[in-house]
Amino acid sequence: MSHPIIQAEDVTKTFDGFRAINALNFYLFPGELRTVIGPNGAGKSTFFDLLTGRAKPDTGGIEYTPIQNTPSTDLAKLNEYEIQRLGIGRKFQTPSVFAEQTVFTNLVLSLNGPRGVFASLFHRLDSADRDRLDDLLKLVRLGDKRHWKAGLLSHGEKQWLEIGMLLASEPRVLLVDEPAAGMTDEETHRTGELLLSLAGKHSIVVVEHDMTFVKQISINGQVTVLHQGSVLCEGKFDDVQSNDKVREVYLGRGKN
Amino acid sequence: MIRSLLIVLYGFVLGSGLARSSESVPVVASGRAQLLDALLTPPARQIAAVRALIGVEDAAITPALTAWRAGELYLVPLPNGALVPATLATAPDGGDFLVAISVLDGLPVPDSASGVGSAHPLRIVPKSLKSLETTATLRRAIRDVLEVAGVADASPSVRYESIERLGQSRKAEHLPLLQARLAIEKTPAVSRALADAIAFIQLSDSSPTVRLVAIAALGEAHSLAAASRFKELLAATPPPSSEEVAALSAALKKIESHWKTVNFFGDLFRGLSAGSVLLLIALGLAITFGLMGVINMAHGELMVVGAYSTFVTQNLFVSALGTASPFLNLYFIAALPAAFFSAALVGLALERGVIQFLYKRPLESLLATWGVSLALQQTFRLIFGPANVQINAPSWLQGSAAFHDVLFAYNRLFVIGFAALVVFGVWLVLNRTSLGLLVRAVMQNRQMASCIGVRATRVNMLTFAFGSGLAGLAGACLSQLGNVGPSMGQLHIIDSFMVVVSGGVGNILGSVAASLGIGTVDQLLQPLLGAVMGKILVLFAIILFLQWRPGGLFPTRSRSLD
Amino acid sequence: MSVPAKLSDVEPRFFTRAQWASFLLPTLLLALVLPLLNALLPSEHLLRPSDFTLNLYGKYATYAVLALGVDLLWGFLGILSLGQALFFALGGYAFGMHLLLMIGKDGQYKSKLPDYMVFLGYKALPVHWQPFYSFSFATCAVLVIPALIAFVFGWLAFRSRIKGVYLSILTQALTYAAALLFFRNDFGFGGNNGFTDFKRVLGADLNSPTTRRVLYVSSVLLLAGVFLLYRWLTRAKFGHLLQAIRDGENRVLFSGYATASYKLFVFVLVAAITGIAGALYVPQVGIINPSEMTPEKSLEAVVWVAVGGRGTLLGPVLGAFFVNALKSWATRSVPELWLYIIGGLFIVVVLFLPGGLISLPARFRLLWARYRSRASRPDSSTFFQQP
Repeated sequence: MSHPIIQAEDVTKTFDGFRAINALNFYLFPGELRTVIGPNGAGKSTFFDLLTGRAKPDTGGIEYTPIQNTPSTDLAKLNEYEIQRLGIGRKFQTPSVFAEQTVFTNLVLSLNGPRGVFASLFHRLDSADRDRLDDLLKLVRLGDKRHWKAGLLSHGEKQWLEIGMLLASEPRVLLVDEPAAGMTDEETHRTGELLLSLAGKHSIVVVEHDMTFVKQISINGQVTVLHQGSVLCEGKFDDVQSNDKVREVYLGRGKN
Repeated sequence: MIRSLLIVLYGFVLGSGLARSSESVPVVASGRAQLLDALLTPPARQIAAVRALIGVEDAAITPALTAWRAGELYLVPLPNGALVPATLATAPDGGDFLVAISVLDGLPVPDSASGVGSAHPLRIVPKSLKSLETTATLRRAIRDVLEVAGVADASPSVRYESIERLGQSRKAEHLPLLQARLAIEKTPAVSRALADAIAFIQLSDSSPTVRLVAIAALGEAHSLAAASRFKELLAATPPPSSEEVAALSAALKKIESHWKTVNFFGDLFRGLSAGSVLLLIALGLAITFGLMGVINMAHGELMVVGAYSTFVTQNLFVSALGTASPFLNLYFIAALPAAFFSAALVGLALERGVIQFLYKRPLESLLATWGVSLALQQTFRLIFGPANVQINAPSWLQGSAAFHDVLFAYNRLFVIGFAALVVFGVWLVLNRTSLGLLVRAVMQNRQMASCIGVRATRVNMLTFAFGSGLAGLAGACLSQLGNVGPSMGQLHIIDSFMVVVSGGVGNILGSVAASLGIGTVDQLLQPLLGAVMGKILVLFAIILFLQWRPGGLFPTRSRSLD
Repeated sequence: MSVPAKLSDVEPRFFTRAQWASFLLPTLLLALVLPLLNALLPSEHLLRPSDFTLNLYGKYATYAVLALGVDLLWGFLGILSLGQALFFALGGYAFGMHLLLMIGKDGQYKSKLPDYMVFLGYKALPVHWQPFYSFSFATCAVLVIPALIAFVFGWLAFRSRIKGVYLSILTQALTYAAALLFFRNDFGFGGNNGFTDFKRVLGADLNSPTTRRVLYVSSVLLLAGVFLLYRWLTRAKFGHLLQAIRDGENRVLFSGYATASYKLFVFVLVAAITGIAGALYVPQVGIINPSEMTPEKSLEAVVWVAVGGRGTLLGPVLGAFFVNALKSWATRSVPELWLYIIGGLFIVVVLFLPGGLISLPARFRLLWARYRSRASRPDSSTFFQQP
C-alpha cells in the first residue's frame, strides 16, 4: 500500500477550553476522493483550518508527503501561503472570491505560478495561460460573465468560480468545504461529476451535509464520520449509513 | 524635605492641643516667672538671668526677647506699681495715643482705672516711656537664647526646624540642651529629629567611639542630610580612619538604598495613578471601539468637555457662594455628574449626527470623528479662550499622606479609587443589568438583536452616550491633576488608543491590565530615560508585544474568514 | 481627464490615447508653460503667474506626491497609514541637514556650525552630520532614511498581521513619538524651530527666481513621474493583487501570496518617494520643523485624498491642490473658521461623498439620467432598472 499524502496523527486543538479536535487520526492516500460528514460542531471546518495553516494544532503532527518516497513536511510549522504553494488548495464553506475583481481577474490571480512581489509586478499572460483560463471559464460556465465583478454573481455561480480558482492553482490536494450549498440539484450533480473526474489525478477531501451528494461522490471512496473532534467511523457509504453509532449521533440519543 | 513635611503635618494635628494645655502646666508658669525675673532684675544680674532661660519652654520668651534685642520692649507701670513688659502699638481707634501689648499674654494691657474687667486698653502717650536698655553682651546672650529657643517652642514643627538647624550648625555647645530636650520630648518625630541632630553634632566629636556610634545611628535613621555629610567626610583630607571609612560607607549605602526604595515606591504609586487616568479614558474608548467597532478620535475632546464642565461648575459655586464659603470645596462632588452628563450629551449628539452611519466601519469613523474633534477644539478655543483655565482643587484633595517616607498625594489616591469604582460600575452595568445584556446582544449581532425585538438604535445611542460620559468623568479627574485647555484631549488620546489595542478590543479586564501596565512602566522608565524616551520605549514595547500576541492581552476570536 | 483605476481586464493598455493626452496637457502646462510665462513676461503682465504663485504650486505638487502615497496605501491596499507625514518630514530633515550645512559661515553667528548648534553651545559638528556636506549623500539619505524606518516598522507590523484600524493607531503613535523626539533640543535637530534660513542649493542662491523656478519644475516633474510609476504599479496583476488584499486579505493568503511582502514593498516604496517630496518641499518653503511630522499632518493628507477621491490616482492630486488652495485662502481670510472647514470636509466626504470630488461627474450623470428617464416615462418601472 502506498504512503498517505496527508497523515494526521493524534491531533488535538482546543479553543478556550473547547476541544474542537480531539486525538484525531486521519490518513488520505494519493488520488483518493474522501468524503467527511458529521453533525454541526464535529470539527470539520477546524480540521480544514489545521490542514491549511489557519490554526495550529496544540498536539500531534500533520505530515504532508506530496511525492512518494520523499521526505515529508510538517504542515503545523507552515503558514497559509506556504501550504498553498506546496499544493494544498481549499474551497471555503462560504464562497470567498475577490468580490471587487472581475471573474477573469479572480482566475488570473489564482493561476499557478510564481507568487513573489516582483513576479507579480512583471507578470504577463502568455498564450498557454490564456488557453487555460478559457478552459476554466468554460468548465465553470462563466465564459459569458468573464467581465462581471465577482461580487455580482449568484451564490451558486460564486461556488463555481471558487472551484475554478481552486483548479487554476493546480493543487495536488483539494480541500472542498460544502461545495453544494446554494446550488440547484442539477448543479450539485455536475459538481459531483467534476469531483469524481478529478479524483485519481488529485487527492480530494470533501466536507458535505447533502446525503444525496455524498452518496454520489463516495461511490468508489471512503466516508469518514467526525464526531466531537475525532473519527467516529470510516468506511463505504452504505456501511456508514447503517452504522448504529452514526445513527445515534445523527438522530440523537433519545431514540433507540 | 519629606521629613519636614511630616512634621508640618504633625504640627497641624498636635499644635493647637499643645498650645491650649500649656496654660495650666506649672513648668510653663515658672518659665514666665523666670522671664519676668530676667527682664526686671538689675542689669548686673541680667546676663546670667537671660542665659538661664536657655532650654526653658515658654511661648512668651521668643517674642519678648526678640523685641528686647530690637529695643522695642517697654516696661509699662501699672497704677498698683507693678511693671508689665510690653510692646507699643498704635491704638485701634486711631488717635494720638499708643496701646501697650503685653509680651506675657499678647493682650493689650487694660486700664485698671476704668474698673475691673474693663476692656479699655491703657493709653500711653508717645515718647513717655523709655525702652528697656540692652548692652552688647546682653544682646549676645539674648541671641544665644533665641538661637535655641525654638527647641522648646510649643509648636512641634517650629521645634523640628530649629532642632535641624542646630544639628546642621554642628556646634558641640548645643549638645547638653538637645540631650535634655530629648529626655522630655513627647512628639516621636521631634524625638527622632533630636536624636539625628545629636548624632550629627557628634560626627565631629573627638572620641572615635562616639563618632562611630553617631555614624551608625544616622545610617539607621536614613537621614539624607547625613548622606551628603558622609560624602564630604569620605572625601576629606586627611581621610578618616579605615574603621570610620568602613562605617561611613556602610551607613551611606544603607541610606541610599532606603531612599532608592522610597523613590521606587513613589514612582510606582505615580505610575498607578497615571495608569488609572489612562484607564478612565480608555474605558470609554474600549466601550465605543471594542463593543461598537467605532474609532472615536473625538474621545479626547469629550474628555475636555468633562474638564470644562468641572471648570464651569466651580465658577457657578464661586458666584453663588462667594470665594470664602467652606462649601466651595463641595463643587467637585457636583462637578462629577455634571461632567458625566455634559459629555454624554455631546456624545449623544455625535452619535446621532455622524456615527450612526458608520457602525462597523472603523476607518471611516476614524476620519469623520477626527473632523468632529477639530471642530470641537476650535469651539473650546472660542468659548474658553486658547489659554489653560484655572481649576482649584478642593481642600480635601490637596496635600498628601506619608507612609514610610513615601508620599501619597490625595488627588492621586482619589483618582486610583475613583477609577476602581468606575471599572466596577461599568462591569456591573455590562454584566448585571438588562441594559448590559441588550448592549452585548446588539454589539455581537446587530441584525439578530433587531430581529428579536431589541431596539438597536436606542441601545447604540445609550451605549455611545455611556462611553462618552465615562470620558467626561476622566476629564473631571484629570482637571485635578493637570492643566485644562482646548487641546488637552490630544495629549491623552494616543496613549489611550494604545491601551485599547494592547488590552484586546472590547475587553474591560484587558483595558485595566494594559492601562495600569503602560502607566506604571512609563513612570518607572521616566527617571531613567526622561519622559519622551520613556514614551517611545513604551510604544516600541507595545509594537513588539503585538508581535507576540497580535490580538492583545485578551483577544476575541471569530471563525469568519475576515 | 479621467484615468480609470480599475480596468476590467487584467492587462489593459497603460494609457489610452485620450488618457495620454489628458496626462500630458496639464503636465506641459504646469511644467513648461507656466514657468516660461513667469520667466519671459514682464512682471506686470496679466498672464504672468507671479513668483509667489509658482512657489505655491510647487509646494502643492510635493503635497500631491504625499497624497498619492497615502492613496496608494489606503485607496488601493487598504492601509490607512497615519505615518506618511513622518516620512515626508524625514525626507525634509535629511535634505534640510544638507541645506543647513550649505549656509556655511553666512549664518547669524558667522560660524561654520549651524546657528542653533552655536546657540546650544556645540563645539564641533556631530559625526553623523559630516557626510551631509555631500549633495549626493543627502539625496540618498532622503530616500533611505524614510525607507529604513518604514521597513523596520512595516516588517514588524505586517508580519504579525496588524491591520485596519490597529495599524492606523500604531502608525499614528509612531509619528507622535517621532515628533516628540524631534521637538526636544537635545535630540540635536533644532528642537521646536527645526531648520531654517537656508541660503543655497548646489551653489545656486535659493532666493533667486531661477532657482525657485527650477525647484518648481522639479516638483511638477516629480509629481508626473510618481503618477506614472503608481499607474504602472496599480495596473495589471500587481494592482489587482493590492486591491484583493484590501478587500479580503485572508483569501489572498490562501491563494498562496505572502501578503505581508506585498504590503511591505508598497509601504517602503511609498515612504521613500514621500521622502523625496519632503526634500523638495523644504527648499521651497524655507523651513522644516517637527510640526510637519505630527499625526495631524498625516490626517490632513488623508483628507486631501478623501476629498479628491480615493482609489483613483487623479483624485489625490486634485484633492491636494484643492484643499491646500482652500487652506491658503481660509487661513488668511477666516483663520478662526479653518478648523471648522477642514473638520467639516472630513465629515462631509466620509458621510456623503465617499468617492470624492472625482466621483461628482458620474454622480451628476446618474442624477441627470434618472431625471431624464423619469421625465419621459413617469411610471414606476424605472425602479427595477439596473443602474
